Amino acid sequence: MEKKLLVEDHIRRNKRNTIIVCGLMALLFVGVIFAVGYFLFAGNIFISLAFALPIAIGYVAITYSISVPTVLKAAKARPANPNNRDEKLLIHRVEEMSIAAGMPMPKVYVQDSEYINAFATGKKPENSVICATTGAIRKLNQEELEGVIAHEMSHIKNHDILIATVTIAVVGAISLIAEIMFYSMLWGGAGRGGRRGEGNAIIMVLAIVLIILAPLFARLTYLAISRRREYLADSSGAYLTRNPNGLAMALEKIKQDHPKTKPKGSKTVAPLYISNPFKQVNASGLWSTHPPIDERIKRLRTM
Amino acid sequence: MWYIWLAVILVIIVALFILIYVGYYNKIIRMENRIDNGWAQIDVQLKRRAELIPNLMETVKGYMKHEKEVLENVTKARSALMTAKTPQENINADNMLTGALKTLFAVAENYPDLKANQNFLSLQDELTNTENKIAYSRQHFNDSVLVFNNTIETFPGLWFARRMGRKTREMLQIPETDRAVPKVKF
Repeated sequence: MEKKLLVEDHIRRNKRNTIIVCGLMALLFVGVIFAVGYFLFAGNIFISLAFALPIAIGYVAITYSISVPTVLKAAKARPANPNNRDEKLLIHRVEEMSIAAGMPMPKVYVQDSEYINAFATGKKPENSVICATTGAIRKLNQEELEGVIAHEMSHIKNHDILIATVTIAVVGAISLIAEIMFYSMLWGGAGRGGRRGEGNAIIMVLAIVLIILAPLFARLTYLAISRRREYLADSSGAYLTRNPNGLAMALEKIKQDHPKTKPKGSKTVAPLYISNPFKQVNASGLWSTHPPIDERIKRLRTM
Repeated sequence: MWYIWLAVILVIIVALFILIYVGYYNKIIRMENRIDNGWAQIDVQLKRRAELIPNLMETVKGYMKHEKEVLENVTKARSALMTAKTPQENINADNMLTGALKTLFAVAENYPDLKANQNFLSLQDELTNTENKIAYSRQHFNDSVLVFNNTIETFPGLWFARRMGRKTREMLQIPETDRAVPKVKF
């Protein structure tokens, strides 16, 4: 009983932190809209909302709807072959984790790569995909593979793919709006907002600063959210297997295993992987999508 | 004029109340269905395992001619599982089968020809798969029961549960002997 409570505490804490960071993102979005309203529409909030919201929603909707086939194609993934013993065992592990999570079973795909990695994608739990590399199913023992699959299953269960896609799209939308603002100011002149006199000069400066810095902050916020969700997937996965050591051991192997050269492909798929294929494993700080691997191992070992 | 405001507020309060009531009612029903489904799942997996046994016996008996007792234990345990009626009998029979199979696979280590047999390997994988599924089905069942019990024992779920006449459910007790067998056998 003791062990389980600790894992649940991890889960609760990670969920709370996600909400805090999402709140910051929302505030940022509101700030940008406010700045837009100030400049373009002489301070009228409703018009600026009518302007910004369709852009944001449209952006999110489009990105979301094309996410799955895009990701699978980028990874050159193929469905797992039950006649191959290693791949059959992978399918078994995914079946078992779906039962533990009480979820419909995702499709199982395999990516040909000598490096250990796995990712999950899909619009909703009924329609999702888990993919592991051939390196992973060869190099990990079944206990470790189970830990990795549990981590990916947790991403699906916690709707992380949805959260990641929406957040990335919001970041994109904020950047887009900021750019539009910047160019309209450049050409339209900053005089539009000055209707109410000199005292507004300070507000104007603040608004300009916000517009320039907003995309930066949005990106940082998104990365913070991504890291939180990774910790959450680690703890949820450990709860599913009741065995945090499985994933810990897999992460140790991943640590030794990391590629020396950068793989090709778009970086946006990085957060879906269990380990960022584009970076050094222990790269930490504000610019990583994944928390440092040593910290992840430490948290798992002490659950 | 003030009575119009009062009416509006009252309507809002009643609407909110109905929404919350419906919300909790549905939530409790959904949780119960999850529990019942979880129970059915366990049964499905147990049956699947029982079905794999005859196949295993066929493959093995040619190689393990001198291990009569080991083979008999498996067959006996399987019969016990087929005739078990109460949940407790079910769990006991299941334990017996797990133990018998464990012995059989341990003894099979001495027969390299058997170990090389594709059919045997395949069956071993299937049995491991099924046993893991049984263990996880039980875990999921207990998890569902825990969430349900938490909801109906704390506020405000407690109030709704009483109205609906719902009681707390019991978790599956896995007996000590089962714990000796590691859940994940690879």
